[in-house]
Amino acid sequence: MNLSSLLLPAVLFFALGVIARLIKSDLRFPPDLAKVLSIYLLMAIGLHGGYELAKADIAIAFQSIIWALILGFALPIIGYLALVATRKVSPLDAAAISAHYGSVSAGTFLTAIAYLDNLSIQYETYPLIMLAVMESPAIVVGLLLAAKARHTLAAREGGVKIAKDSGEKGDFKDMLRDAFTNGSVVVLIGSMIIGAIAEPSGMDKLKPFIDDIFMGVLCLFLFDMGMVAARRIGDFKQVGIVLAAFGVVMPLVGGVIGVYVGANMLDFSVGGAMLVGVLGASASYIAVPPAMRLAVPEANPSFYLTLSLGITFPFNVIIGIPLYHGLAKAMVL
Amino acid sequence: MVSLYAEKLLNIICNDSLEEKLVCMFKKYGVSGYTILTARGEGPSGHFSDMSGFDANIVVKVILPESRMQVILESIERKIKKGHHLTVYISDVQVITPDKFEKTIR
Repeated sequence: MNLSSLLLPAVLFFALGVIARLIKSDLRFPPDLAKVLSIYLLMAIGLHGGYELAKADIAIAFQSIIWALILGFALPIIGYLALVATRKVSPLDAAAISAHYGSVSAGTFLTAIAYLDNLSIQYETYPLIMLAVMESPAIVVGLLLAAKARHTLAAREGGVKIAKDSGEKGDFKDMLRDAFTNGSVVVLIGSMIIGAIAEPSGMDKLKPFIDDIFMGVLCLFLFDMGMVAARRIGDFKQVGIVLAAFGVVMPLVGGVIGVYVGANMLDFSVGGAMLVGVLGASASYIAVPPAMRLAVPEANPSFYLTLSLGITFPFNVIIGIPLYHGLAKAMVL
Repeated sequence: MVSLYAEKLLNIICNDSLEEKLVCMFKKYGVSGYTILTARGEGPSGHFSDMSGFDANIVVKVILPESRMQVILESIERKIKKGHHLTVYISDVQVITPDKFEKTIR
Protein backbone atom coordinates (compact mmCIF):
# COMPACT_ATOMS: atom_id res chain seq x y z
CA MET A 1 0.00 0.00 0.00
CA ASN A 2 1.29 3.39 -0.99
CA LEU A 3 1.35 5.46 2.19
CA SER A 4 1.84 8.69 0.29
CA SER A 5 -1.83 8.38 -0.72
CA LEU A 6 -2.74 9.33 2.83
CA LEU A 7 -0.95 12.63 2.32
CA LEU A 8 -3.29 13.75 -0.43
CA PRO A 9 -4.58 17.24 0.54
CA ALA A 10 -8.19 16.02 0.13
CA VAL A 11 -7.64 13.08 2.51
CA LEU A 12 -5.76 15.31 4.96
CA PHE A 13 -8.69 17.75 4.99
CA PHE A 14 -11.03 14.83 5.66
CA ALA A 15 -8.84 13.97 8.67
CA LEU A 16 -8.89 17.62 9.76
CA GLY A 17 -12.70 17.53 9.70
CA VAL A 18 -12.70 14.42 11.89
CA ILE A 19 -10.19 15.98 14.31
CA ALA A 20 -12.12 19.28 14.47
CA ARG A 21 -15.18 17.35 15.55
CA LEU A 22 -13.34 15.11 18.02
CA ILE A 23 -11.69 18.06 19.81
CA LYS A 24 -15.16 19.70 19.91
CA SER A 25 -14.07 22.72 17.87
CA ASP A 26 -16.79 25.33 17.34
CA LEU A 27 -16.12 25.13 13.59
CA ARG A 28 -19.41 24.88 11.68
CA PHE A 29 -20.09 24.84 7.97
CA PRO A 30 -23.30 26.34 6.58
CA PRO A 31 -26.00 23.63 6.78
CA ASP A 32 -26.27 22.83 3.08
CA LEU A 33 -22.60 23.30 2.14
CA ALA A 34 -21.84 19.61 1.51
CA LYS A 35 -24.91 19.39 -0.73
CA VAL A 36 -23.92 22.50 -2.71
CA LEU A 37 -20.35 21.28 -3.09
CA SER A 38 -21.47 17.82 -4.20
CA ILE A 39 -23.63 19.42 -6.91
CA TYR A 40 -20.58 21.35 -8.12
CA LEU A 41 -18.37 18.24 -8.02
CA LEU A 42 -20.89 16.12 -9.95
CA MET A 43 -21.37 18.93 -12.48
CA ALA A 44 -17.63 19.39 -13.03
CA ILE A 45 -16.89 15.66 -13.29
CA GLY A 46 -19.96 15.21 -15.53
CA LEU A 47 -18.90 17.97 -17.96
CA HIS A 48 -15.37 16.64 -18.05
CA GLY A 49 -16.48 13.03 -18.48
CA GLY A 50 -19.11 13.85 -21.10
CA TYR A 51 -16.51 15.71 -23.16
CA GLU A 52 -14.22 12.66 -23.06
CA LEU A 53 -17.05 10.18 -23.59
CA ALA A 54 -18.12 11.90 -26.81
CA LYS A 55 -14.97 10.39 -28.27
CA ALA A 56 -15.54 6.99 -26.60
CA ASP A 57 -16.45 3.57 -27.96
CA ILE A 58 -20.23 2.99 -27.80
CA ALA A 59 -19.83 -0.79 -27.39
CA ILE A 60 -17.64 -0.43 -24.28
CA ALA A 61 -19.97 2.26 -22.91
CA PHE A 62 -22.90 -0.14 -23.36
CA GLN A 63 -21.00 -3.00 -21.68
CA SER A 64 -20.13 -0.68 -18.78
CA ILE A 65 -23.81 0.15 -18.30
CA ILE A 66 -24.76 -3.55 -18.27
CA TRP A 67 -22.06 -4.33 -15.70
CA ALA A 68 -23.09 -1.32 -13.61
CA LEU A 69 -26.65 -2.69 -13.55
CA ILE A 70 -25.43 -6.18 -12.62
CA LEU A 71 -23.32 -4.76 -9.77
CA GLY A 72 -26.16 -2.49 -8.65
CA PHE A 73 -28.57 -5.41 -8.42
CA ALA A 74 -26.17 -8.09 -7.12
CA LEU A 75 -24.31 -6.21 -4.35
CA PRO A 76 -27.39 -5.42 -2.20
CA ILE A 77 -28.49 -9.07 -2.44
CA ILE A 78 -25.03 -10.22 -1.25
CA GLY A 79 -25.16 -7.65 1.56
CA TYR A 80 -28.69 -8.66 2.55
CA LEU A 81 -27.83 -12.38 2.74
CA ALA A 82 -24.70 -11.62 4.80
CA LEU A 83 -26.62 -9.37 7.21
CA VAL A 84 -29.48 -11.82 7.66
CA ALA A 85 -26.91 -14.58 8.31
CA THR A 86 -25.43 -12.56 11.22
CA ARG A 87 -28.86 -12.62 12.94
CA LYS A 88 -27.95 -9.27 14.49
CA VAL A 89 -30.45 -7.14 12.60
CA SER A 90 -34.05 -7.53 11.53
CA PRO A 91 -34.63 -8.42 7.84
CA LEU A 92 -36.04 -4.92 7.30
CA ASP A 93 -32.89 -3.31 8.69
CA ALA A 94 -30.87 -5.69 6.51
CA ALA A 95 -32.84 -4.61 3.41
CA ALA A 96 -32.35 -0.89 4.13
CA ILE A 97 -28.63 -1.25 4.94
CA SER A 98 -27.84 -3.42 1.92
CA ALA A 99 -29.53 -0.94 -0.46
CA HIS A 100 -26.87 1.59 0.60
CA TYR A 101 -24.08 -0.80 -0.38
CA GLY A 102 -25.42 -1.44 -3.87
CA SER A 103 -25.60 2.27 -4.57
CA VAL A 104 -22.51 4.49 -4.76
CA SER A 105 -20.85 7.42 -3.07
CA ALA A 106 -19.78 10.14 -5.47
CA GLY A 107 -17.53 11.58 -2.73
CA THR A 108 -15.52 8.35 -2.55
CA PHE A 109 -15.35 8.14 -6.35
CA LEU A 110 -14.04 11.71 -6.63
CA THR A 111 -11.45 11.07 -3.93
CA ALA A 112 -10.33 8.05 -5.98
CA ILE A 113 -9.98 10.31 -9.04
CA ALA A 114 -7.90 12.76 -6.97
CA TYR A 115 -5.75 9.80 -5.88
CA LEU A 116 -5.19 8.67 -9.50
CA ASP A 117 -4.46 12.23 -10.69
CA ASN A 118 -1.96 12.64 -7.89
CA LEU A 119 -0.08 9.54 -9.00
CA SER A 120 -0.49 10.52 -12.70
CA ILE A 121 -2.29 7.25 -13.44
CA GLN A 122 -4.48 7.18 -16.55
CA TYR A 123 -8.04 5.90 -16.27
CA GLU A 124 -11.00 5.31 -18.58
CA THR A 125 -14.03 7.63 -18.34
CA TYR A 126 -16.54 4.76 -18.60
CA PRO A 127 -16.70 4.28 -14.79
CA LEU A 128 -18.31 7.73 -14.75
CA ILE A 129 -21.34 6.39 -16.64
CA MET A 130 -21.34 3.47 -14.22
CA LEU A 131 -21.42 5.98 -11.32
CA ALA A 132 -24.59 7.53 -12.77
CA VAL A 133 -26.19 4.15 -13.52
CA MET A 134 -25.41 2.63 -10.13
CA GLU A 135 -27.15 5.36 -8.09
CA SER A 136 -30.62 3.85 -8.57
CA PRO A 137 -30.91 0.05 -9.05
CA ALA A 138 -29.96 -0.67 -5.43
CA ILE A 139 -32.90 1.41 -4.23
CA VAL A 140 -35.22 -0.81 -6.25
CA VAL A 141 -33.56 -3.96 -4.86
CA GLY A 142 -33.83 -2.49 -1.34
CA LEU A 143 -37.58 -1.97 -1.84
CA LEU A 144 -38.04 -5.53 -3.13
CA LEU A 145 -35.98 -7.02 -0.29
CA ALA A 146 -38.00 -4.99 2.22
CA ALA A 147 -41.26 -6.25 0.69
CA LYS A 148 -39.97 -9.81 0.95
CA ALA A 149 -38.84 -9.21 4.55
CA ARG A 150 -42.29 -7.88 5.48
CA HIS A 151 -43.94 -11.00 4.09
CA THR A 152 -41.48 -13.24 5.95
CA LEU A 153 -42.12 -11.36 9.20
CA ALA A 154 -45.89 -11.49 8.66
CA ALA A 155 -45.75 -15.24 8.00
CA ARG A 156 -43.64 -15.72 11.14
CA GLU A 157 -46.26 -13.88 13.16
CA GLY A 158 -48.86 -16.46 12.21
CA GLY A 159 -50.04 -15.16 8.88
CA VAL A 160 -51.15 -11.80 10.18
CA LYS A 161 -52.03 -9.67 7.21
CA ILE A 162 -49.79 -6.66 6.86
CA ALA A 163 -51.65 -3.41 7.29
CA LYS A 164 -51.82 -1.98 3.82
CA ASP A 165 -52.44 1.63 3.18
CA SER A 166 -54.57 2.22 0.13
CA GLY A 167 -51.81 4.34 -1.36
CA GLU A 168 -49.10 1.68 -1.11
CA LYS A 169 -49.02 0.86 -4.82
CA GLY A 170 -48.81 4.55 -5.66
CA ASP A 171 -46.03 4.88 -3.08
CA PHE A 172 -43.99 2.21 -4.85
CA LYS A 173 -44.41 3.97 -8.19
CA ASP A 174 -43.39 7.31 -6.65
CA MET A 175 -40.41 5.63 -5.07
CA LEU A 176 -39.26 4.21 -8.40
CA ARG A 177 -39.65 7.62 -10.01
CA ASP A 178 -37.64 9.20 -7.19
CA ALA A 179 -34.95 6.51 -7.51
CA PHE A 180 -34.34 7.30 -11.17
CA THR A 181 -34.79 11.08 -11.04
CA ASN A 182 -32.86 11.83 -7.88
CA GLY A 183 -30.78 15.00 -7.89
CA SER A 184 -27.34 13.41 -8.28
CA VAL A 185 -28.45 11.36 -11.30
CA VAL A 186 -29.98 14.42 -13.01
CA VAL A 187 -26.89 16.61 -12.37
CA LEU A 188 -24.44 13.93 -13.46
CA ILE A 189 -26.22 12.68 -16.59
CA GLY A 190 -27.30 16.21 -17.58
CA SER A 191 -23.75 17.54 -17.26
CA MET A 192 -22.38 14.57 -19.20
CA ILE A 193 -24.77 15.27 -22.07
CA ILE A 194 -23.88 18.98 -22.02
CA GLY A 195 -20.17 18.08 -21.96
CA ALA A 196 -20.65 15.72 -24.91
CA ILE A 197 -22.61 18.08 -27.18
CA ALA A 198 -21.18 21.50 -26.24
CA GLU A 199 -18.78 23.31 -28.57
CA PRO A 200 -15.15 22.54 -27.59
CA SER A 201 -14.36 26.28 -27.61
CA GLY A 202 -17.11 26.84 -25.05
CA MET A 203 -15.75 24.00 -22.96
CA ASP A 204 -12.29 25.62 -22.99
CA LYS A 205 -13.79 28.70 -21.35
CA LEU A 206 -15.15 26.47 -18.57
CA LYS A 207 -11.70 25.07 -17.82
CA PRO A 208 -11.07 27.28 -14.75
CA PHE A 209 -14.43 26.16 -13.36
CA ILE A 210 -14.26 22.43 -14.04
CA ASP A 211 -10.51 21.80 -13.79
CA ASP A 212 -8.57 24.49 -11.95
CA ILE A 213 -10.68 24.79 -8.81
CA PHE A 214 -11.89 21.17 -8.71
CA MET A 215 -9.34 19.83 -6.21
CA GLY A 216 -9.81 22.81 -3.89
CA VAL A 217 -13.57 22.25 -3.81
CA LEU A 218 -13.02 18.54 -3.22
CA CYS A 219 -10.84 19.44 -0.19
CA LEU A 220 -13.58 21.67 1.18
CA PHE A 221 -16.20 18.95 0.57
CA LEU A 222 -14.12 16.30 2.34
CA PHE A 223 -13.36 18.72 5.19
CA ASP A 224 -17.11 19.05 5.76
CA MET A 225 -17.68 15.31 5.28
CA GLY A 226 -14.96 14.56 7.85
CA MET A 227 -17.00 16.47 10.43
CA VAL A 228 -20.21 14.70 9.39
CA ALA A 229 -18.52 11.28 9.55
CA ALA A 230 -17.00 12.01 12.97
CA ARG A 231 -20.44 12.87 14.31
CA ARG A 232 -21.66 9.49 13.16
CA ILE A 233 -18.72 7.66 14.74
CA GLY A 234 -20.30 8.65 18.07
CA ASP A 235 -23.18 6.28 17.24
CA PHE A 236 -20.72 3.41 16.91
CA LYS A 237 -21.78 1.83 20.23
CA GLN A 238 -25.39 1.68 19.16
CA VAL A 239 -24.50 -0.13 15.95
CA GLY A 240 -22.53 -2.91 17.64
CA ILE A 241 -19.38 -4.72 16.65
CA VAL A 242 -20.95 -7.11 14.12
CA LEU A 243 -22.59 -4.35 12.09
CA ALA A 244 -19.47 -2.20 12.35
CA ALA A 245 -17.49 -5.14 10.95
CA PHE A 246 -20.01 -5.36 8.10
CA GLY A 247 -19.21 -1.69 7.32
CA VAL A 248 -15.62 -2.72 6.64
CA VAL A 249 -16.05 -6.21 5.18
CA MET A 250 -18.83 -5.33 2.72
CA PRO A 251 -16.77 -2.63 0.92
CA LEU A 252 -13.90 -5.10 0.66
CA VAL A 253 -16.20 -7.70 -0.92
CA GLY A 254 -17.74 -5.08 -3.24
CA GLY A 255 -14.27 -3.72 -4.01
CA VAL A 256 -12.89 -7.12 -5.01
CA ILE A 257 -15.93 -7.85 -7.21
CA GLY A 258 -15.72 -4.35 -8.74
CA VAL A 259 -12.00 -4.57 -9.52
CA TYR A 260 -12.54 -8.04 -11.00
CA VAL A 261 -15.33 -6.74 -13.26
CA GLY A 262 -13.23 -3.72 -14.27
CA ALA A 263 -10.10 -5.73 -14.97
CA ASN A 264 -11.48 -8.93 -16.48
CA MET A 265 -14.95 -8.22 -17.84
CA LEU A 266 -14.41 -4.70 -19.11
CA ASP A 267 -10.65 -4.92 -19.81
CA PHE A 268 -9.94 -1.57 -18.20
CA SER A 269 -6.49 -0.30 -17.27
CA VAL A 270 -5.32 -0.29 -13.63
CA GLY A 271 -6.89 3.16 -13.08
CA GLY A 272 -10.23 2.19 -14.63
CA ALA A 273 -10.42 -1.16 -12.80
CA MET A 274 -9.65 0.61 -9.52
CA LEU A 275 -12.51 3.06 -10.14
CA VAL A 276 -14.95 0.18 -10.76
CA GLY A 277 -13.65 -1.33 -7.52
CA VAL A 278 -14.39 1.94 -5.72
CA LEU A 279 -17.93 1.92 -7.17
CA GLY A 280 -18.45 -1.63 -5.89
CA ALA A 281 -17.03 -0.75 -2.49
CA SER A 282 -18.72 2.56 -1.75
CA ALA A 283 -22.02 3.05 0.04
CA SER A 284 -24.50 5.81 -0.72
CA TYR A 285 -25.26 8.56 1.79
CA ILE A 286 -27.16 11.05 -0.38
CA ALA A 287 -29.68 9.22 -2.57
CA VAL A 288 -30.49 6.09 -0.59
CA PRO A 289 -31.10 7.29 3.01
CA PRO A 290 -34.17 9.44 2.20
CA ALA A 291 -35.50 6.70 -0.10
CA MET A 292 -35.18 4.11 2.68
CA ARG A 293 -36.66 6.51 5.24
CA LEU A 294 -39.78 6.66 3.10
CA ALA A 295 -39.93 3.09 1.84
CA VAL A 296 -38.68 1.17 4.86
CA PRO A 297 -39.70 3.36 7.82
CA GLU A 298 -39.49 0.32 10.13
CA ALA A 299 -35.70 0.17 9.67
CA ASN A 300 -33.53 2.08 12.13
CA PRO A 301 -31.88 5.02 10.28
CA SER A 302 -28.97 5.23 12.70
CA PHE A 303 -27.86 1.78 11.51
CA TYR A 304 -27.56 2.65 7.84
CA LEU A 305 -26.38 6.24 8.32
CA THR A 306 -23.68 5.28 10.81
CA LEU A 307 -22.52 2.43 8.61
CA SER A 308 -22.35 4.36 5.34
CA LEU A 309 -21.18 7.76 6.67
CA GLY A 310 -19.37 6.87 9.88
CA ILE A 311 -17.63 3.64 8.93
CA THR A 312 -17.59 2.77 5.21
CA PHE A 313 -16.94 6.28 3.84
CA PRO A 314 -13.87 6.99 6.05
CA PHE A 315 -12.64 3.42 5.54
CA ASN A 316 -12.78 3.76 1.75
CA VAL A 317 -11.25 7.26 1.67
CA ILE A 318 -8.33 6.40 3.93
CA ILE A 319 -7.65 2.67 3.50
CA GLY A 320 -9.91 1.32 0.75
CA ILE A 321 -8.77 3.40 -2.24
CA PRO A 322 -5.05 2.47 -2.04
CA LEU A 323 -6.12 -1.13 -1.35
CA TYR A 324 -8.29 -1.31 -4.50
CA HIS A 325 -5.41 0.25 -6.41
CA GLY A 326 -3.11 -2.54 -5.24
CA LEU A 327 -5.76 -5.10 -6.15
CA ALA A 328 -6.23 -3.58 -9.61
CA LYS A 329 -2.46 -3.70 -10.20
CA ALA A 330 -2.51 -7.41 -9.32
CA MET A 331 -5.56 -8.21 -11.48
CA VAL A 332 -4.80 -6.17 -14.60
CA LEU A 333 -2.30 -8.05 -16.66
CA MET B 1 -59.79 46.08 21.19
CA VAL B 2 -59.00 43.46 18.55
CA SER B 3 -61.11 40.29 18.78
CA LEU B 4 -59.40 36.93 19.19
CA TYR B 5 -60.70 33.61 17.86
CA ALA B 6 -59.75 30.12 18.99
CA GLU B 7 -58.01 27.76 16.55
CA LYS B 8 -55.77 24.71 16.85
CA LEU B 9 -52.07 24.64 16.01
CA LEU B 10 -50.79 21.29 14.75
CA ASN B 11 -47.03 20.77 15.12
CA ILE B 12 -45.21 17.86 13.51
CA ILE B 13 -41.49 17.08 13.89
CA CYS B 14 -40.20 14.54 11.38
CA ASN B 15 -37.55 13.75 8.79
CA ASP B 16 -37.50 15.99 5.72
CA SER B 17 -38.07 13.01 3.43
CA LEU B 18 -41.70 13.05 4.63
CA GLU B 19 -42.27 16.66 3.60
CA GLU B 20 -43.80 15.88 0.22
CA LYS B 21 -46.17 13.30 1.71
CA LEU B 22 -47.35 15.65 4.44
CA VAL B 23 -47.97 18.46 1.96
CA CYS B 24 -49.99 16.05 -0.22
CA MET B 25 -52.02 15.07 2.83
CA PHE B 26 -52.70 18.72 3.74
CA LYS B 27 -53.94 19.41 0.24
CA LYS B 28 -56.07 16.27 0.21
CA TYR B 29 -57.79 16.99 3.53
CA GLY B 30 -57.87 20.75 3.14
CA VAL B 31 -55.86 23.15 5.25
CA SER B 32 -55.51 26.88 4.69
CA GLY B 33 -51.73 26.81 4.67
CA TYR B 34 -48.65 25.41 6.38
CA THR B 35 -45.19 26.52 7.47
CA ILE B 36 -42.13 24.30 7.37
CA LEU B 37 -38.90 25.00 9.24
CA THR B 38 -35.70 22.99 9.15
CA ALA B 39 -34.66 21.66 12.53
CA ARG B 40 -32.13 19.51 14.29
CA GLY B 41 -32.30 17.55 17.48
CA GLU B 42 -32.07 14.14 19.06
CA GLY B 43 -34.61 11.63 20.28
CA PRO B 44 -34.82 8.35 22.16
CA SER B 45 -34.15 6.36 18.99
CA GLY B 46 -30.78 8.10 18.77
CA HIS B 47 -30.97 9.44 15.24
CA PHE B 48 -30.85 13.14 14.79
CA SER B 49 -30.57 15.42 11.86
CA ASP B 50 -27.20 16.32 10.42
CA MET B 51 -25.81 19.79 10.06
CA SER B 52 -24.56 18.76 6.64
CA GLY B 53 -27.98 18.97 5.00
CA PHE B 54 -28.09 15.19 4.56
CA ASP B 55 -30.92 13.68 6.51
CA ALA B 56 -32.36 16.85 8.02
CA ASN B 57 -35.38 17.21 10.28
CA ILE B 58 -38.29 19.58 9.79
CA VAL B 59 -40.97 21.14 11.96
CA VAL B 60 -44.31 21.53 10.23
CA LYS B 61 -46.86 23.99 11.60
CA VAL B 62 -50.49 24.19 10.56
CA ILE B 63 -53.24 26.36 12.05
CA LEU B 64 -56.70 24.91 11.44
CA PRO B 65 -60.20 24.72 12.89
CA GLU B 66 -60.76 21.84 15.31
CA SER B 67 -63.39 20.35 12.97
CA ARG B 68 -60.72 19.59 10.34
CA MET B 69 -58.19 18.16 12.75
CA GLN B 70 -59.46 14.58 13.20
CA VAL B 71 -59.11 13.38 9.61
CA ILE B 72 -55.53 14.72 9.46
CA LEU B 73 -54.62 13.07 12.76
CA GLU B 74 -55.97 9.74 11.48
CA SER B 75 -53.76 10.01 8.41
CA ILE B 76 -50.73 10.84 10.59
CA GLU B 77 -51.52 7.89 12.83
CA ARG B 78 -51.49 5.58 9.79
CA LYS B 79 -48.00 6.85 8.94
CA ILE B 80 -46.80 6.24 12.50
CA LYS B 81 -48.20 2.69 12.39
CA LYS B 82 -46.23 2.08 9.19
CA GLY B 83 -43.06 2.86 11.17
CA HIS B 84 -42.42 6.53 10.36
CA HIS B 85 -41.10 8.62 13.23
CA LEU B 86 -43.31 11.65 13.76
CA THR B 87 -43.62 13.72 16.91
CA VAL B 88 -47.06 15.34 16.91
CA TYR B 89 -48.49 17.83 19.38
CA ILE B 90 -51.43 20.17 19.25
CA SER B 91 -51.89 23.44 21.05
CA ASP B 92 -54.62 26.02 21.44
CA VAL B 93 -53.88 29.30 19.75
CA GLN B 94 -55.76 32.52 19.17
CA VAL B 95 -55.91 34.30 15.83
CA ILE B 96 -57.27 37.63 14.69
CA THR B 97 -58.33 36.53 11.18
CA PRO B 98 -60.41 33.33 11.54
CA ASP B 99 -61.71 33.51 7.93
CA LYS B 100 -58.20 32.88 6.68
CA PHE B 101 -58.15 29.43 8.26
CA GLU B 102 -61.48 28.39 6.76
CA LYS B 103 -60.04 28.56 3.22
CA THR B 104 -58.10 25.71 1.61
CA ILE B 105 -54.99 25.71 -0.57
CA ARG B 106 -55.87 24.86 -4.18
